[in-house]
Amino acid sequence: MLAILRDLLRYNLEFRIGIVLVGFVLVLSMLSGFSPYPPQDVYVVPPDVPPSLSYWLGTTSRGQDVFWQLTFAIRNTLLFGCTVALISRALALVIGLLSGYKGGWIDRVLMSINDTFIVIPLLPVLVLFYFVMRDSMSWLMLALIMACLGWAYDARLIRSVAMSLKTREFTQSSVFSGMSTREILVQEHLPYVMPIVFSTTMNNMIWSIGLEVTLAVLGFTDINTPTIGGMIYWANQHTAMVAGVWWWIAFPTIAVVITFIGLFLLAVSMNEYIDPRSRLSRIGPVTS
Amino acid sequence: MTSAANSMGATQSDSAGPILSVGNLRAYFRTNHFGIHRTVRAVDGISFDVGRGEIYGLAGESSSGKTTLVRTIAGAIKPPLEVVGGTAEFSFLPGYDGLYRAPAAEVARIRWRHLSYIMQGSMNVLNPVRRLRKSFVDFARPHMAGTERKFERAVIDHLARVNLDASVLAAYPHELSGGMRQRVTIALATICRPDFIIADEPTTALDVIVQKDVLGMIRGIQREIGSSVLFVTHDMGVHAHLTDRLGIMYAGRLIEEATTAEIFRAPLHPYTRHLIASLPRIGNDAPRKGLEGTPPNLADPPPGCRFHPRCPLAMEVCSRSVPTMIGTAPGHRVACFAVNGSEEP
Amino acid sequence: MSGYLAYIAKRLLQFVLVVFIGINLAYVITHATPIDPVEQSISAVTSYGNTAPGAIEQMRISLRELYGLEGSALQQYVVFWKRILRADFGPSMSAFPTPVSTLIARALPWTTGLLVVSTIVTWVLGNWLGGLAGYYQKNRGLKLLGVIAMGLHPIPYYILALLLLIVFGFLWPVLPISGGSTMNLPQAWTWAFAASVVQHAILPALSLILIGVGSWFLGMRSLVSNVVTEDYVIYAELAGVKSRRILSSYVMRNALVPQVTGLAISLGGIFNGAVITEKVFGYPGIGSLLVDAVYAGDYGLVLGVTTISILGVSIGVLVIDFLYPLLDPRVKVS
Repeated sequence: MLAILRDLLRYNLEFRIGIVLVGFVLVLSMLSGFSPYPPQDVYVVPPDVPPSLSYWLGTTSRGQDVFWQLTFAIRNTLLFGCTVALISRALALVIGLLSGYKGGWIDRVLMSINDTFIVIPLLPVLVLFYFVMRDSMSWLMLALIMACLGWAYDARLIRSVAMSLKTREFTQSSVFSGMSTREILVQEHLPYVMPIVFSTTMNNMIWSIGLEVTLAVLGFTDINTPTIGGMIYWANQHTAMVAGVWWWIAFPTIAVVITFIGLFLLAVSMNEYIDPRSRLSRIGPVTS
Repeated sequence: MTSAANSMGATQSDSAGPILSVGNLRAYFRTNHFGIHRTVRAVDGISFDVGRGEIYGLAGESSSGKTTLVRTIAGAIKPPLEVVGGTAEFSFLPGYDGLYRAPAAEVARIRWRHLSYIMQGSMNVLNPVRRLRKSFVDFARPHMAGTERKFERAVIDHLARVNLDASVLAAYPHELSGGMRQRVTIALATICRPDFIIADEPTTALDVIVQKDVLGMIRGIQREIGSSVLFVTHDMGVHAHLTDRLGIMYAGRLIEEATTAEIFRAPLHPYTRHLIASLPRIGNDAPRKGLEGTPPNLADPPPGCRFHPRCPLAMEVCSRSVPTMIGTAPGHRVACFAVNGSEEP
Repeated sequence: MSGYLAYIAKRLLQFVLVVFIGINLAYVITHATPIDPVEQSISAVTSYGNTAPGAIEQMRISLRELYGLEGSALQQYVVFWKRILRADFGPSMSAFPTPVSTLIARALPWTTGLLVVSTIVTWVLGNWLGGLAGYYQKNRGLKLLGVIAMGLHPIPYYILALLLLIVFGFLWPVLPISGGSTMNLPQAWTWAFAASVVQHAILPALSLILIGVGSWFLGMRSLVSNVVTEDYVIYAELAGVKSRRILSSYVMRNALVPQVTGLAISLGGIFNGAVITEKVFGYPGIGSLLVDAVYAGDYGLVLGVTTISILGVSIGVLVIDFLYPLLDPRVKVS
C-alpha cells in the first residue's frame, strides 16, 4: 500500500495537488488545539470586524474570531466525515464481500436490501430523524445514522470485486485447503479490495460532509458544536450577507470547497491507478 | 494464381506484381505510465509479399506479434502503437508507404471495397445494441450502388452462401451462436468482393465441426471472387487445410516462409521443425517433447536471434547478430545461421 | 417477449420492496424513538406563547388520536398503514385545518416540474459533452470543459445556490430569486403565467444543472474512452464507417447504457439537492415544505413529505427501469 502511495505521489499530478489541499485542511484543523478561545464561547472579541492583521479572517456577529472558529469547524467536520467513512466501510466490506463470495440467495436478498438503500432519498429520512430527536441528536448520533444508511453504493462495488476474485485459482486452493469463509475473505481477498476501499472512502467523505453541511445549514443538527455548516447557519441567522459581513460565510465556504476538491482529486487519482489497463503498462523492465 | 474476372471482382492491373508488399516493417508499443517507459517491439523488421488470388498463412504462437502485424498492415494504428519504419504497400493504393501514411480520404476509399477484415474473436465484433441489418448497412451500403431493395436482395443472397437465413438480419448479435456470428462476419467481409481479405483467427473460438464449415466457406468465396487472403492462426491444422503459402512468425520476426506443403514436408528452421514435430499424427504415439523456456518478453527481447535461448542448435553468433531471411530453395526462405551458415558478425 | 415480462415483474417487485422498507423506516423512526413527536409538536406550537392549558390538553388528545398513537404497538402499525394507503396524513399543524395531502398536492407539481426538466437537461447535456470529450481526446476546448467539470463537481449544492443567489440577487438582478411565479398572478394556463413560471425556475434549475453536469460529463468521458477500445468499434473503424456514425451509433449508444443505470441510482441524491435549492430560492416545492414543516414542528407534514418523496423517487426509478430494455437489448437474456 505504501509503495502505491509513493508511486502516486511521484508521478500523478492530481494526487499531488489533492495531497496538498487535504494536507492544508488537516493542518488548519490541527491548529484548533492552539485556539485562545474555547469554541462554544461567544462575544469574546468585538463583533463584525473585517479581516485585518489582528483578526486574520475577521470576526462574526456573535463576537467570535472567524479564523479560530474555522479551525474548530474544520476539525469537527473532518472528524465527522472520517467517523462515517470508517463505520460505513466496515458495513460495506462485510456485506459486499459476503454477498459477492457466497452468491446464491444470500446475494439476492442482500442486494435487494442494498438497492433499497441506494434508491431511498436520504435527506428526508435524516430530516425526519432530526425532527423526532431534536436536541438529543449529537453529531456522533448523526454520524452513526448516516453510516448505517450510506454503505449501499460501495457495498456493490466491493461485491463485484469479490465476485471476480471468487473464480480465481487461489480462492479455490484456499477452499480446498480447508480455510473457513471468514479466513478466506480476510486473509486472501481483503488485500485486493483495499485500493477500491481507499477511493470509495474519499467519495464517502465527500458525500457525508456534504450531507452534514446541508443539514447544518438548515439548522437540523447540533448547532452548538461548531462545524462548517453550523457556521453558515449562524451567519444566515444573523443575515450576514445582507449586513455585509461576507467573511463569515466566505471563509468556511472556501474551506469546505478546498476539502472537497482535495478529496475528489485523491479519489480520482487512486481510481486511475487501480485501472487494470494502466497497471499492465507498469509491469515489466524499465527501458528509456 | 489466377484472378477471376467478374464485374465487381478483384481488379486486374497491368503489372502482375504482388497485391501486398511488406518491407522491413517495424511497429512498436510505446507506453509511459507512472514514470515507467516501456517499448514493446511487437513487429521488428518483417518483409514478405502476397500475390494475387493466393491464400497466405501466418503462423506462430500467441504473443508472436501476428495480430499487431496485420493490424498495422490494415492501418489500424492507435497510440500507444506506432509505426517506426518500413512499408506495407497495397497495389490498389500505390504511392504511399502503407495505409498508416496515406491521407484519410484515400484510406476511406479503399476500406471494405478493396480491403476487408475478419476479426479475431466473434464474441464482441458486432455492435451489441443494434440489429445485424444495421451492420450491413453501415459497412457495405456505401460501396454498393443501387436501390435499397437491390441492396437488401444482395445481402440476403450473400447470406445464403454462408448458410444463413434472412431472419438473421433482424436479430441482435447476442441472439446468435458463435458459429452464426462468425459466418455473419465472413459474409460482411466478402459482400463487397474485396481484392484483399485479412482474416485474424476467424475460427479459434469455434468447435471443430463448425470450424470445418467455416473454412470451407472462406475457401469457396475466395475462389469465387478471386481475392487474396492473409490468414492468421496458430492452428497448424487449419493452415494445412487452407493456405497456399505459409510464413512462420516468432517474437515479432518472420523466421521461415515457403509453400504450405513444403513447410510440412521439410521444415528447416529449428522452431518450425519443432512446430511440425509436435503435431499429432495418426499412428505415431511417440511422446512429444516441449520446447524449453518461454516466448521472450518483447519489451526486453534477447539480442541477436530471438529464438537462440531456446534453440537446440544455438551458436555463438546467434546471440550477437540477427539472422536475415535467405532463400534456400525457390520459394523457400529461412532466417537461421545454423541453416544458412553464419556470416561474420 | 417473456424475458421482458420477467424483467418487468422483477423490477415491480423491487419497487414494492423499496416503498415498503422506506415507509417502514419512517414508521420506525417516528414510533420507536424515546422522543414523543406529539410533545415536540406541542412545544413548538406553544413556543409562540399565549396558549391556555386547557387548549394544550385538547391538542394533545386530538394529536395523539390523529397521529394514531393510541392503542398497542400493533394497532398503531395497522392504523399507520391504513392511513398511508389512503394518502391521509391528517391535518397540518402549521396550516390548520388544511390537510397535509392538500399542501403536498399543491407543492408537488412545482418540484416535479423543476426536477424532471433539470434532470433531463443535466443528463443529456452532461453525457453528450462527456461523450465528445472522451472521443475527441485531443480537443483543447473539451479538455478545458473537463477541468471545469472537475472543479464544479465536488461543490455542494448549497454553496452554488448561494453563489447564484448573490450574483443574480445583488450583483446583477436580472432574474427573480424567490417564489415559483410572480406574486398575485393568477395560476391559470396563460402565456403570462407560463412565462413567469419559467423565469422563476431558471435560477434553481441552473443551480441543479451546473453541479449535475459535472458528474455525468466525467463519467461519460471515462466510459467512452473505454468503449473506443472495444472490438466492435475497432471493427467499424477497420470497415471505414464514417467517424460521426461510429461516434453516435457505436460509441455513445453503448456508453449510455450504464449511464441510464447511473441515473436511476442518483435520483435520490438529485432529490436531496432539490430540497436545499428550493429552500435557498424560496421555490414552493415539497423541499421548502419539508424544511418549513420542521421549523414549525408540524409532525404530520414532515411525515407526509418524507413518505411522498420516498414514493416519488421510487416511481422515478421504476420508470427508468422500464425504459432500460429499450436501450439495452441484452437484458432480456439474463
